[in-house]
This record gives sequence, structure tokens and C-alpha cells, in this order.
Amino acid sequence: MSLGKLIERLAQLIPVLLGVSVIVFVMMLATPGDPVDIMLGDQQVTAEIEQALRHDMGLDLPAHERFIKFVGNALTGNFGLSYYHRQPVMSVIASRLPATIELSLVALIFALVVSIPLGVLAAVKKNSILDRIATVSSLFGVSLPGFWFGILLIMFFAVNLHILPVSGRAGFGSEVEPITHLLLIDSLLRGRFDAFSDALSHIILPAITLGLPMASILMRVTRTSMLDVLDRDYITFAEAKGLSRTKILIKHALKNALIPTVTVAAIETGSLLGGNMVVETVFGWPGLGRLVVESIFVRNYPLIQAAVLFYAVTYVLLNFVADILYTVLNPRVKL
Amino acid sequence: MNKPVLEIENLKTCFDTRDGMVTAVDGVSLKVNQGECLGIVGESGSGKSVTFASVMGLVKKPGFIAEGEIRFEGRNLVGLDANEYRNLRGKEIAMTMQDALTALNPAYTVSDQIIEALLEHDETLTGSKRQKFRQARDKAVEMMDLVGIPAAKSRLDDYPHQFSGGMRQRIMIAIALACRPTLLIADEPTTALDVTIQAQVLELIADIQDKLGMSVVLITHDLGVVAEFCDRVIVMYAGQVVESGPTREVIDNPQHPYTQGLLNSIPRLSDLKHRIEPIMGTVPDLIQLSPQCRFLGRCTQSTEACSSSVDMREIGEGRGVRCTLVSPAGEAE
Amino acid sequence: MSAQNAVQPSLFNIGSATGETLLMRNLKLFASSKLSVFFSAITLAFIIMAIAAPLIAPHDPNEADLFLRLLPPAWMEGGEFSYFLGTDALGRDVLSRIIYGSRVSIFIGAAVILVATTIGVLAGLAAGFLRGWVDIGISRLVDILLGFPYLIFAIALIAMTGPGLQNIILALAYKEWVIPCRVVRGETLATANLEYVEAAHALGAGKWYIMLREILPNILSPVMVVSTVRMAHVIILEASLSFLGLGVQPPTASWGSMVADGRSYMLDEWWLSTFPGLAILLLVLSINVVSQGLRDAFDPKFHD
Repeated sequence: MSLGKLIERLAQLIPVLLGVSVIVFVMMLATPGDPVDIMLGDQQVTAEIEQALRHDMGLDLPAHERFIKFVGNALTGNFGLSYYHRQPVMSVIASRLPATIELSLVALIFALVVSIPLGVLAAVKKNSILDRIATVSSLFGVSLPGFWFGILLIMFFAVNLHILPVSGRAGFGSEVEPITHLLLIDSLLRGRFDAFSDALSHIILPAITLGLPMASILMRVTRTSMLDVLDRDYITFAEAKGLSRTKILIKHALKNALIPTVTVAAIETGSLLGGNMVVETVFGWPGLGRLVVESIFVRNYPLIQAAVLFYAVTYVLLNFVADILYTVLNPRVKL
Repeated sequence: MNKPVLEIENLKTCFDTRDGMVTAVDGVSLKVNQGECLGIVGESGSGKSVTFASVMGLVKKPGFIAEGEIRFEGRNLVGLDANEYRNLRGKEIAMTMQDALTALNPAYTVSDQIIEALLEHDETLTGSKRQKFRQARDKAVEMMDLVGIPAAKSRLDDYPHQFSGGMRQRIMIAIALACRPTLLIADEPTTALDVTIQAQVLELIADIQDKLGMSVVLITHDLGVVAEFCDRVIVMYAGQVVESGPTREVIDNPQHPYTQGLLNSIPRLSDLKHRIEPIMGTVPDLIQLSPQCRFLGRCTQSTEACSSSVDMREIGEGRGVRCTLVSPAGEAE
Repeated sequence: MSAQNAVQPSLFNIGSATGETLLMRNLKLFASSKLSVFFSAITLAFIIMAIAAPLIAPHDPNEADLFLRLLPPAWMEGGEFSYFLGTDALGRDVLSRIIYGSRVSIFIGAAVILVATTIGVLAGLAAGFLRGWVDIGISRLVDILLGFPYLIFAIALIAMTGPGLQNIILALAYKEWVIPCRVVRGETLATANLEYVEAAHALGAGKWYIMLREILPNILSPVMVVSTVRMAHVIILEASLSFLGLGVQPPTASWGSMVADGRSYMLDEWWLSTFPGLAILLLVLSINVVSQGLRDAFDPKFHD
């Protein structure tokens, strides 16, 4: 697949991204409350200063010009000041982003590690007890409200058994010089195994809570896909070649069967972003999701808009990655 | 010289389905002699494919071999250990399937799939893993040349979908022959192909058969194919062998009404006035089998004797017919 | 959710063998599964509970009695039978609040699905049948809306409009209509080209007539299946929003907010969060099983 084609495909994203920005912009316009008033709060200023502020923020421009300014600013990462933090929105988001990324990654890994072997086994041993348990579990997995499950986990492991912490990302004394800003990796890189185990114990429960619905979906997809593949002629032909059952499974079946799994995973990773807000709130995780929820209650609109835009762009890009992955994995489909 | 490579004796293969027990192969006996090409003719549901799936040990649940023996080079395959069966498959007995597009794994290159067979079975490969791989890769090119893939070397890393139907069938043959098997079972090798390509593929098989001294079983529903390329032919119907013998004899002088019907339903260019006579009726239900001739109801020559079980009757050297109209002496009534 | 691309025969066609419509046959197939029937009953029970809440609930859900606060469930020490599942921090009966909470979940779930399905079906029909600019416009809008993760979009809307019953329904419906729209558009595209539609057209039938009489019956079954699946999802979303404090506001009892309120009492009064959550789990699970059963019963590949 050539670079040119890739760029062409990327270019097709632009209208969607533009549309997304329009919607975020419209949301911004429709938000109650005058930005300048909110920013000033209780401070009293003269009409002139107020006017100057308005002009600075571009509030006196007609809508379409404001939009262009908005997009321009967005591309340079300027989202204005966060009312609440008195800092640029971008830096606030940037400081909370690694926590969310780390949580999402661990949740994703958990989901993949659990769902793929389970899905394969369920398909190979179709209608066995294992299969039935797996199917029922996956049904539960998508029916469980994440926030409730998280609370149950905390009640059980932290409050009752005291083996895991109740909330947060790390305990005291686990500070580590950041390299990647991902605690798990940084602590290993710095050789701080105490910090590593501390970070691990903090991330386990939220990651499981976040990853469980995704694991359930992926398990079903893998199982269905595997069942479909095992029925195919090329599996029979591989058997006729005298290959061992294990080899056929791992080499011939898996590569084809995992295609739907991987593409669905890429798409579902986007919904991990949504799930983040709830899980981060339940576990007191210092990430972007919790920041957004808090911002709503204090009406920190610039931050909310920036976060929404960020999430949307990431989501669109993830879907794009899913498309590309599909063409890479499936030699028959050309870009 | 003409020792049988494969002997099937009274094979009975059944499928335990939700609707009942289906007897797909009912008491089939046949022989494949060394170096010969045996044609198996029958329509869908005649049991021809299941018979040879049984030979390969590829009959899956709910299917099972209920009775009979399958002797390959003297060795009984029924009930063979899974590991030993794997040593046979691909190495001593190889099989090709009808549709090469679905039989080849779309996710791997063609060389990959040929090399895989070689790495699994070929004992002449020596050295380290990498060396073996290189040798296998060279052999793969040889095989592709052998089956007539033009510019084989440059196409090693192409995927199955990048080849035409005829080429794919050849690649499948290449994979099957990579380890020089003693017996090749070709299941409907030409059904999915254009007529002109059919001829090419069949000639290829005949050619290789000569070169390697291989024995071939050609499963098909097309009598024309059998007539051209097979030394002997077996006609199957509803899970039983109804006629067998040297191809020339069976085609010139068909004894079983079904065989006669098959031959009559082939349009003939030489005789344009000749009306094609289809065989009326349909294949019997394989679940509810009554002990009578299975062709009864479609046969225009049936008598009372046909309502009881009919055995194969020898009417000559290697020539048999399952019909009441034929007495073992050899003359039809 | 993948849309079924196979063209569905009309549910109202009468099968020649049995003389019953396809709809009846599929419904019978659905009913033959014990699981489906069992969980349909549970779902129905929830609906009845919601409707008959004032009659069933032992107490007023908002009646606070501080002397009776934080009572444990009846089977534990200190519990009372009349407050079967215990009381919360304000002394309100948990069981009654759960019963009344079902109203919120079911009403919002049903309302969102109803609104979204109506809009989605109309939009999908228009896009699939009228093609041209209508199709391009609607498809673009769908693509853009799909660019937002679900919860984020809903939360952003609520941030703008403020929480409350109507706003929640709208916020969720804004994103939800996209899903039935896609399904319907796909089905319409597949069906609209069939010959019998062309025949109707040739006979002089107007566009709307064709859309309603010929195409609509065919899309019913996938729409029905998708709607039930989505209903479960919407209920969880509403509960999540309530949990975050962005759903229906107090004092209205909502399962999500009940779980949130019970969080501070996790240590000793575990029942406050557990039971409302169980209610959500049970309802959503039942709907999921029912929708799975519907999917299997109405999938032409499943029975032959």
C-alpha cells in the first residue's frame, strides 16, 4: 500500500473532521452564559476593558469568522484559558492525558489477552461447558453497568480484603521521574519495582472495569469468526496435507479469524474513551475523563469543548486505523 | 506389477444427523491398482467424495466409519492412530479439492503453502531450519514449473487470489504432489473450471502420473473426463457401487441402467438427431433406505427381482455390475 | 452492530406451506426458546413494575425519615420487614426507590429508542430511496455524528442544556438515531432496486406510496432487532449519566444516582449501591437475552 494512497485516504477524513469541529463550535455558541462574564466572575471592570476582552477573544466577530479563528487556534493547540485552573486549556489537558492513555492501554491489553484465547477455545470446543460459560459471561459483560461493577470490585478487593487500594493512580512515595509519563513503563525503566507494583495494584481494578465490556464483545466476535473459519475449505485442505491440529489452528485459522477481532477492537477502543469518564470517576483516577466530568459541574466550557474535540478527533483517527488495519491484514482487499 | 495400492472393502460410513442416520457410503468395495488412473463417477450425494474422505481419515463428526476396511499398501487405515494418519496424509496419500479458491488459504502466499507441505513431510531436506527453508523454496519453484505456472519464480510470493482459476488448481496440485505421494485423490479437479482449462489440468495430471508413476483417483460427475483419462471406472449411486470395469468396456457396453442413462444423457455432436434422454426421478433419501435396488423407481428396466437387496455381480475380469438384469455368467438378459 | 445486508422477505408475506405469515412463524420460533420466554417475562415484569409503581411500592420513595436512616435489609440484624431492602442516608425506603427508579430507566430508554427509531427510519428511508443530495447530506451527517464517542456527545449536550428528563432524552436521541438510520438505509438500498418495486413504479405508484407499502414492511425485522439491542445500551447510558450526576436530578429516584449516593457508604452500608445496580443488571441482561433471541428467530440464516 503506497504512501500516496494512504495520504489520499487520510484526506478523506478532512470533511468529517471539519464537520466535527463545526458541531463542537455550534455547541460552543449554544452554550448559555457569556464567556467574558464567566471569565471575569465577580470582578468589576469598565465597559472599555470588557469590550477589549471581547475583541481579544474574537467574540465580536461574525460566526463564520469566529469559526475560522476557532479552527486555526485548534490546530495550534490554543484552546484558550481554563476558567477553573487559570491555565491554558491545552496544558491542563496535557497533564491529565497520560493517565487516561495508560488506563486505556492496559484495559485494551486486558481485553485482548482475555478475549482472544477464550474466543478461540470456545469455538474449538463448541457447545462444551467452556463454550457455554464463555457465552454467558460475555452476555453478562455487556449487561453490567461499569460504574456499579467498579464499585463492587472496590468493595470486595479494597474494602473487604484490603489487597488493593481504593482509588487513585499511585500511593505516596511512588513518584518516579517521568520519561513516557506512563507510570508502569517509567517505573520499570527506572528500576523502581516498588513503584511498579504500586502502580500495578492501582491500575488493575479500573482497567478490568473499563476493559470488561470490550472483552465480552471481542470474545464473541472471535468465537463467531473462528467458527466461520474452521468451516472453510482451506482448513480441510490443510488437514489433508497432514498438518497437526495445533498447527492448523495457530497458523491457518487464527490469521484469518483474527481479522474481524482486530478491526472491531480498533473501533471499540474509541468507546473506551467514553467509558473512561465513568471509570475514572469511580476510581478517582486522575485522567482526562474525570477532568471533563468535573468541568461540567464548574461550567468550565473551554475545557469541555477542547476535550470533546480531542475525543472526537481521536475517535475518527481510530476508525481510520481500523480501516487501514483491515486492508493490511486481508490481502484480498486493496486500499 | 499391478498390485493394488488402495483396497476398500465393504466400507460403510454414516452420519448421525438430527434428522436421522444417513448412510452415505453403504458397502463400497473397490481397488486402485499401482500406476493406474481410476475414475469415480457419480452425482452429488452418490457418496463418492465421502468414500475418499474416509480414506483420508477426514470424516468429521457426526460422521463415522461404521464398518469395513481400507487398506493402503496393505495397511488397514480404519481406526488408525491420529499421528500415524498425519504421517500418511500429504506424504503418501494426497488430495486436491474442487474449488482451489476456497481450498487455498487467502492469507498466505502460494509458496508458503507449498513450502509448508515440504517442511512437514519431505525427508530429503537437510541442515538448519533456514537451510531447509531455502531448499524447500527451491523445490517449490520446481513444483510450480512442473505444474506449468509461467514465470514461477516471480510468482512465488503472490497470493492465491492473484491467480486465475486454472492456475490455482495447478497450485493445489503442486502442493499435493510436493512430497511425491503414492496416491493422488483428485476430487472434482475440473468442475470449477472452463472447458478449455479443464483439458489442460487433466493432461497435466496424466502427464505427472506418467512421470512419477503415481496412482490417481479421479472423482468426477463428468463421464467425458473419465472416458479420456481413466484406465478403469467405478460408477456410484446412492452410496453404492453400481458398475465397475475398464473404462472402454463400461462406456462401450454399459450394463447398469443408471450407467446407460448417464451415457444417454450426454449430448452427442455426431448425432444431432439423437434425443437426450434424462433420467427421470430423484435420488432416494439416504436415511430411509429399504433393502432393494436403489435405482428402483427411476429404472425403465426394473422387474420384481429388484425389490430385494441386490449384490455386485462379477461378469468378467475386474468387471462388476449391481443389477438383477445381469447374471454372473456375463450376459444381460 | 453490523447491519444485515441480506434482503429480508416481508414479514407479512404468507408462507405457502403453513398459511401463516413469516412474522407469526418467527415469533413462534422465538417463543420456542425457553430462555427467550423466561427473560421476556422478566422484562415484562419490570415494565409492569414501572407502570404500577404507585400501587406496588410499599412506601413513598421520597419520604424521608431520619430516624430510620441506614437501616439494613430485612434479613440482616437491625433490619425491618417493611423496609425490605433497607433505607438510605435520608431514611428513604430502598425498595420503593428501586421500584420508582424503574420508571425512569424504562421511560427514558423507551422514549429515546422511540424518537431515535422514528427519525432514523425516516432518514434512512429518505436516504436510501431518494438517493442524490438527500442521501449525501444524510450520510455525511451520520459520518460526522459517528465521529463522537457516545457518552462524550451526550455529556457535552447536557453540559450545554443542563440536566433534566427532557434534555437527557434529547441528548441521547441525538446520537442514537444514527444507528437505525444506517440499518434502514442499507436495507432500503438493497430493496429499492428489486424488481417488484420497479413494477410498482411502472404501475404509477407515487414515491411515498412505494416507500411505505413496499419497502417499510421489509425493514421491520432488522429495525426491531436493532432497537431492542440498543434499548439495553441506552438504559446503561442513562444510568451512567445519572451516576455522574448528569441525569435526572434529585429527588427523583434513578438507579444510577442511587448507586452514586451509596458510594460514600460502601464500607458499612453496602446495600445502598448494590441493589439498584442489580436492578440495572437484571433489566439490561433480560433485554439482551430477548434481543439475542429475536435476532436468532428472525435471522433467515438461522433456520432453513
